[in-house]
Amino acid sequence: MPQSMLGIINATHELDTFQNLTAHRSIAALPFAGRYRLIDFMLSNMVNSGITSVAIFTGHGVRSLMDHLGCGKQWDLDRKRDGLFVFTPDGKSKNEEFGSFAHLAKNITFFLRSRQKYVVITNSNIIGTINFSSVLDYHIETDANITEVVHNGESLQTYILEKELLLSLFEQYKDQGYYSIIDVINERLDHFKVEKYDCKEYIAIIDSLNHYYKHSMDMLQSTAYHQVFTKNEPIFTKVKDEPPTRYKTGAKVSNSLIANGCMIQGEVENCIISRAVKIGKGAVIRNSIIMQKTQIEDNCVIDGVIIDKDVKIESGVKLTGTRENPYVVEKGTVQKGS
Amino acid sequence: MVQKKCVAMLLAGGQGSRLGALTRYIAKPAVSFGGKYRIIDFPLSNCTNSGIETVGVLTQYQPLVLHSYIGIGAAWDLDRSNGGVTVLPPYAETSGVKWYKGTASAIYENINYIKQYNPEYVLILSGDHIYKMDYSKMLDYHIEKDADVSISVIEVPWDEASRFGIMNTNMNLDIIEFEEKPKSPKSNLASMGIYIFNWSVLRTFLEIDDNNPESSNDFGKDIIPLLLEENKKVVAYPFKGYWKDVGTVKSLWEANMDLLNEETELELYDRNWRIYSVNPNQPPQYISPTAQIEESLINEGCIVKGNIKHSVLFQGVTVEEGSVIQDSVIMPNAVIGKNVIIEKAIIAEEMVVEDNTIIRPEKNKDEVILVAKDV
Repeated sequence: MPQSMLGIINATHELDTFQNLTAHRSIAALPFAGRYRLIDFMLSNMVNSGITSVAIFTGHGVRSLMDHLGCGKQWDLDRKRDGLFVFTPDGKSKNEEFGSFAHLAKNITFFLRSRQKYVVITNSNIIGTINFSSVLDYHIETDANITEVVHNGESLQTYILEKELLLSLFEQYKDQGYYSIIDVINERLDHFKVEKYDCKEYIAIIDSLNHYYKHSMDMLQSTAYHQVFTKNEPIFTKVKDEPPTRYKTGAKVSNSLIANGCMIQGEVENCIISRAVKIGKGAVIRNSIIMQKTQIEDNCVIDGVIIDKDVKIESGVKLTGTRENPYVVEKGTVQKGS
Repeated sequence: MVQKKCVAMLLAGGQGSRLGALTRYIAKPAVSFGGKYRIIDFPLSNCTNSGIETVGVLTQYQPLVLHSYIGIGAAWDLDRSNGGVTVLPPYAETSGVKWYKGTASAIYENINYIKQYNPEYVLILSGDHIYKMDYSKMLDYHIEKDADVSISVIEVPWDEASRFGIMNTNMNLDIIEFEEKPKSPKSNLASMGIYIFNWSVLRTFLEIDDNNPESSNDFGKDIIPLLLEENKKVVAYPFKGYWKDVGTVKSLWEANMDLLNEETELELYDRNWRIYSVNPNQPPQYISPTAQIEESLINEGCIVKGNIKHSVLFQGVTVEEGSVIQDSVIMPNAVIGKNVIIEKAIIAEEMVVEDNTIIRPEKNKDEVILVAKDV
């Protein structure tokens, strides 16, 4: 019964490893692959796994994330029964880290009210396809107390367990000085049967600017692209009603992902181009990530750069970064020509 | 129901028989256009952009795809608690099934739908045309002219005028005569099939028309001549801009090609007049190192490894290496194999074109090839 899972997405991460890409948005709302935000992947995985009740725990600075999620309609989560729940911090207490006893205590009503038998807990910054129904089957088959999802041996900090176990651990250990449930499990491993579910398909964790750049570029590889974007388990996102992308005379595009609504007259190679980007005549863009609505005027040369949303690069500007250290252009800025 | 100033009735039941296999299983308004859209997206988006939020969509021929596409109108922001989109197919009553015999009878059979909003004006639209138009300006004009009926007209080239319904007007743009496909036209103002009626006038004339067993129950053939006969004030509303009836395979192809013109009149990128559609939700298009693309429109979900020149690719199309596509329209999810040559053709949805196939018109032949199931 697919309804028997409750989805929990941890979107509280506030890392300072993204330079100013996360100055105006949470990591969960970071644009990815030209038309998505990071959270779309786990949110869509849950929906595609038949989960109809998803709770997202956010950190501070949620404007762009809330704008993106809306009422959950794009994921079919605008429902009378179940649906999308967003829990924002109230700023009153200090120890609110996700999964901490304090955090759980504050939101315990949500767990008590829900009727699902199992809980899936995951992070908002994981890219890839995970079928949680298969993880649940494995969990039940192996008779595990807790199933941890791993990829190439690396933990994805993604777990399935029975809600009753979560609640009983909470009751049992809340006053014993543990910080979080995960600490309890790790310290008392012999008490639990913990199984690992290995995801063989493409998975990436986006936890730094370098990883963001590297894994964005992974999407240009056929295997990764086809494992992440499948017909049967589509990644849903907020739709923008952009027209198709227009290639004009002079456009020369190679090995790139291009979203809708773009107008291309220049040269583009090894790039991720988001929706409604304009690229002028004679411009050459390589190894770069260009976010939504950015305009690059004629004859610019851009290599190894991440350009945030709504940026204007005036004619003839040259910007260079490297794969290891991509140059980042902040949202809404203008790069003046000479 | 809260009263509405203006209710739109969108005629979407047409077959579009000259589109051949493209409309075998779907109604003409559901035919794909412009790399992403269906024809009906244009009038529906025009309604939303013009602030008209109550739209009855009249369907009859092959309605399955159209009905599921329209849904509750959410794609056009027309999912409203008061008004919004209502799909109006023919229905049965005690006296039998009321099929829509003509455009006028389709509206007549749904008088109760209009009645519940008690509007002052009724806007009658067709789901067969590609154009962007602000209906609120036409309504202002209708009110200013104090007309009973306003008909939107467009200047067509004189040598094509005999293909259209032509409005002969006086200096004040009052319509004095209507001629359906005249052999020697006196005017080049063609009816665009867009009417604004005062609701009371519409109701009266629909009832008269329904009582006339000789009538073909058509707005152009029956209602408009009757209005003129009865000396009603019927005025022409001159429209300037892109307008195309995509009634044939050739004109559908032409309209798609029009989008590729450097100075196209049909601007799809205007944020103030968005054309909304049901989004296919596919990943961004992937353009491989072997691809070459010029002067083309390409939608999301495409995987392009071949050479695309002056063409329109809808969502989810795959073009393999070595293939050359020129002056063509490739509809959703079609798969084009390796080393294929396609010129001046429309490839219908979901078609698979095998490796090494050549599809192009014979030399010196002015035709557009349609590749679809059952052709």
